[in-house]
Amino acid sequence: MVTLTHYVALSSILFGLGAIGFLTRRNAMILFMSVELMLNAVNLMLVAFSEFRADMAGQIMVIFIYAVAAAEVAVGLAILIGLFRHVRSIDINKFNLLKW
Amino acid sequence: MDVYFWLFATMAVCAGIFTIAARDPLPSALGLLTVFIACAALYLHLHAPLIAIFQVTIYAGAILVLVVFVIMLLTTPDERLSLFQANMSYRIMGAVLGVCIMGLLAAGTKGIIDIVGSKSLPDGFGSPARFGDLFYKNYLLHFEVASVLLLVALIGGIYLAKKNL
Repeated sequence: MVTLTHYVALSSILFGLGAIGFLTRRNAMILFMSVELMLNAVNLMLVAFSEFRADMAGQIMVIFIYAVAAAEVAVGLAILIGLFRHVRSIDINKFNLLKW
Repeated sequence: MDVYFWLFATMAVCAGIFTIAARDPLPSALGLLTVFIACAALYLHLHAPLIAIFQVTIYAGAILVLVVFVIMLLTTPDERLSLFQANMSYRIMGAVLGVCIMGLLAAGTKGIIDIVGSKSLPDGFGSPARFGDLFYKNYLLHFEVASVLLLVALIGGIYLAKKNL
């Protein structure tokens, strides 16, 4: 019997993997994909809660998260391309313009 | 139905590990695609067919194609971009923090076992008709705000990608 706990554990693992990837890699594209992984984990948890509480609000929320994720990808990748034009690299250790 | 869950859960976790551990961004994108597809399969299991379709079209379709395009554009052959953080302390700190987040979230699952939910889902749960009903009655304002957000993101994306920024 698969319960809500299974789904929450699965999405916790996926979220944690995304967090590890975000904190340990230095390729900006892989950081970006780690953020997508975390967003996806949150979506999975929302849909699981929606099912087990028989409430559609969770699924509606996921649709709005899709809209926000699409906006994030459009702006984020544009910023990344802009940065690449200046620095000629996607190594985040080289993006230190604002570093004190 | 347990086999279904375990199959796709294992697939998602393995592909997730591959995503963050692959040396090059392109295989990493492939791993991410596998995570998205596995999650779409789990959404079907959770009575969310519309979300599953959106997952495949928006995430696995549009967003991942955009990511792959940008990977192709930005890869420079002269540097080893795929490496992990050069500074060992960053890597250890990052891994410890990530595992802590994972552990905290997993610890939270102990309190939720009593939400079993009603055995019978309401009629048309997760169906497109129900979605339309909710969007145009209860969530109309949110729906409009989301459309404005997408428009702003569109304009922002075009502006930021201009040549002489």
